[in-house]
Amino acid sequence: MSDATAQNGMSMEFHPQPRGGEPRPWAFPAPERGELPNGLTVLRCHRPGQKVVAVEVNLVAPLEAEPRDLEGVAGIMARALSEGTDRHSAEEFAAELERCGATLDAHADHPGVRVSLEVPASRLTRALGLLADALRAPAFPEGEVERLVRNRLDEIPHELANPARRAAIALSKELFPADSRLSRPRQGAEETIRNIDAAAVRAFYAEHVRPSTATAVVVGDFTGVDLDKALAETLGDWKGAAAGPRPVPPITADDTGRVVVVDRPGAVQTQLLIGRIGPDRHDRVWPAQVLGTYCLGGTLTSRLDRVLREEKGYTYGVRAFAQVLRSSPEGTGASMLAINGSVATDVTGPALEDLWRVLRTLAEEGLTDAERDTAVQNLVGVAPLRYETAAAVAGTLADQVEQHLPDDYQAKLYARLAETGTVEATAAAVAAFPADRLVTVLVGDASQIADTVRDLGIGEVTVVTDQ
Amino acid sequence: MAHTASPPPTAGGLTATEHRLANGLRVVLSEDHQTPVAAVCLWYDVGSRHEVAGRTGLAHLFEHLMFQGSAQVKGNGHFELVQGAGGSLNGTTSFERTNYFETMPAHQLELALWLEADRMGSLLAALDEESMENQRDVVKNERRQRYDNVPYGTAFERLTAMVYPEGHPYHHTPIGSMADLDAASLEDARDFFRTYYAPNNAVLAVVGDIDPQRTLAWVEKYFGSIPSHEGKRPPRDGSLPEVIGEEVKQILHEEVPSRAMMAAYRLPHDGTREADAADLALTVLGGGDSSRLQTRLVRRDRTAVTAGFGMLRLAGAPSMGWLDVKASGDAEIADIERAVDEELARFAEEGPTPAEMERAQALLEREWLDRLATVGGRADELCRYAVLFGDPQLALTAVERVLQVTADEVREVAAARLRPDNRAVLIYEPTQVTAPDTGADVSEGATVSETGAAADTHDQEAAQ
Repeated sequence: MSDATAQNGMSMEFHPQPRGGEPRPWAFPAPERGELPNGLTVLRCHRPGQKVVAVEVNLVAPLEAEPRDLEGVAGIMARALSEGTDRHSAEEFAAELERCGATLDAHADHPGVRVSLEVPASRLTRALGLLADALRAPAFPEGEVERLVRNRLDEIPHELANPARRAAIALSKELFPADSRLSRPRQGAEETIRNIDAAAVRAFYAEHVRPSTATAVVVGDFTGVDLDKALAETLGDWKGAAAGPRPVPPITADDTGRVVVVDRPGAVQTQLLIGRIGPDRHDRVWPAQVLGTYCLGGTLTSRLDRVLREEKGYTYGVRAFAQVLRSSPEGTGASMLAINGSVATDVTGPALEDLWRVLRTLAEEGLTDAERDTAVQNLVGVAPLRYETAAAVAGTLADQVEQHLPDDYQAKLYARLAETGTVEATAAAVAAFPADRLVTVLVGDASQIADTVRDLGIGEVTVVTDQ
Repeated sequence: MAHTASPPPTAGGLTATEHRLANGLRVVLSEDHQTPVAAVCLWYDVGSRHEVAGRTGLAHLFEHLMFQGSAQVKGNGHFELVQGAGGSLNGTTSFERTNYFETMPAHQLELALWLEADRMGSLLAALDEESMENQRDVVKNERRQRYDNVPYGTAFERLTAMVYPEGHPYHHTPIGSMADLDAASLEDARDFFRTYYAPNNAVLAVVGDIDPQRTLAWVEKYFGSIPSHEGKRPPRDGSLPEVIGEEVKQILHEEVPSRAMMAAYRLPHDGTREADAADLALTVLGGGDSSRLQTRLVRRDRTAVTAGFGMLRLAGAPSMGWLDVKASGDAEIADIERAVDEELARFAEEGPTPAEMERAQALLEREWLDRLATVGGRADELCRYAVLFGDPQLALTAVERVLQVTADEVREVAAARLRPDNRAVLIYEPTQVTAPDTGADVSEGATVSETGAAADTHDQEAAQ
């Protein structure tokens, strides 16, 4: 084509929308399960082409195991694992890891502590050695633990200043009974963090960290790597007494419809977090709930954003999701079901009104077959994209272990999603997000939003301030 | 169709071939059959640097409009069709380019090509006042959510304005100002499309489980008849002196959770060996957990909670190195500044140790491996080198170039650039309680983002 044709106003030649070709087979990878002589469970999965190997270690050190006056100790312990070992000082350890091109992260959550290593395959053995040192013989030096405690105290005001984090803290406090660990911040609050020292960290480690209850998931391209030898020489060296399984306490929550406004004078947006608890992956309803939640608020073309973003322009995006809190082998676990996003301050009332209208319409009219079909096609179709990297596969395998699910859970979930009909998906979405059983947290300017929210009839409104 | 294709030098077995349609569209293909997925990535050579005074944010607002339908695609059809086919998609706008990308199950590749071609050739058939008004509101909410309603949220915008002077094409960030977003008209958007959206101003990369011959035939079929034009206006000249010449400092009293010191330095242009050397210098000084600044400020002095450097690589203007230090407890900014100055001066004198070079090179190599681990990441890098440097093959050898840099070169670039007279500094002093009627000041908050994402991630849709 030449410039002349463009100027003459000639346009492109149009073709009909193409139909897809034949899908090429793909399945969620099946790991190989084994056990080292020290009792450590190992799941491994060879993924050709993935040159960055991902290792996830699950430690059964749940937050509910923390002493009440030392809450946050699991998080401090997780961070302190990489602050020096019997072979390296804290500074040396960090430098050694980085010389491998490795990253090592550890964090504590309700089900336990997760340690995640990622490293180029060519340096896997060296990095596994460092990981094993961190698990086997952490030094927990007093000075470093003291620094981590101070850092954690420094973080708290940053968390409170972040609207999304502030909303999450408020929702947990509102939803769960005061005596439940779930009601309080995962990384601990100021009054308990202050009590933590190296002795407390060492005691928590001694009681809850051992190879026999831990699982390591290793995923990546193992070409040219003798993984058995590498594991035997590193994580195989970790010693510890055996221990029985820990009972998992049941979860209860009060989802009486109500509203908490965390006052932020002058805020230009209101952060919304609307939630309750519901079933976890052990429940037969899970696939239907995944589908229904996607149709409600999984993406920009789901019901919530179709109105709140693409019709009204109230928000950059609102999402509905389910996040497992804690599971048990007996199926007494639960997930957090929630809707989140932020809307301009002056349209907070109208946005919530529309949001509730979407929920009520869903309950009255249900999902359409077309919505259900699109959701299935997306959720099943994106699997090969979603699991391209070793880290994504390792993360899901480790989640399954943490949630007491079989190793083929994710692989089978895709078939179950495809078998789920519109009626079941509707029922699950309506049960997950009943209009009168939702706790709403709004972080925003109370003087501008509280009155309009009172008029909506979505529950009693309480205003709290941080100062 | 012209081919300049011979699969040349490779990194880790990756190869790419280049082609050009008669209308000027450049095409880069890279095969990888490990997983049945294919990525489509389209870079248009237009970014916020092409915007004119009074219309900041237009390139990004326009990017949103590209998702509002075209001649054969209704409304949100772009999202609906891609997601319904099991794909994922997004678009982002930065200083120097706008990109659109889809990752598809391999058997749905043709759909993504059809969709991209339809909006490249016929967006104006669907663009109307209603989409314009709606997406203006969405983008204003994006600005509030990501910058104005977050502590330190506007720091990056402020530092950018200090490093690149008034009138410079990089003086403003891609999100633009609220006033300019309000002022943009439908006619501005139409004019923007007619000026910058043309096949000869774009590069298309397709990467993954593809048949190159068939893919090229589809590209020719869908894109081949889109007329090219020479209407593009080049961006204003972005050249600047290598150093700012004096330290520029702003002290902000805002409702933020802690004191902070942020700074930005002018660095060598992307695409040069000096830029790679600067990247290594910033990594030794402020990348990862064992950098010099982390060790000094966080571990030893204990004056900071975090201390790190990031680099925003730019091809059409000096790159920017930015420092982000959040103070611990009651630590004084003066002590932090003194320690930073000492560490930078010492580094300029001594250069990196062999162990530090090994660490920094391993970290940068790892970043590359992560970027190339997905077909989408690879497609984006191939487009980047094709658009900014004229040669996609450079993407495949980028790691090698970083590994060839010497310790002397790292020291030299640090001595030349990481100097107090080449930086803009932003100091945050927290105010205590804010009365409601002064709340508007809070909205001018600030950050060089904690994730290091800086300006590059003005996603059309953040997460799926």
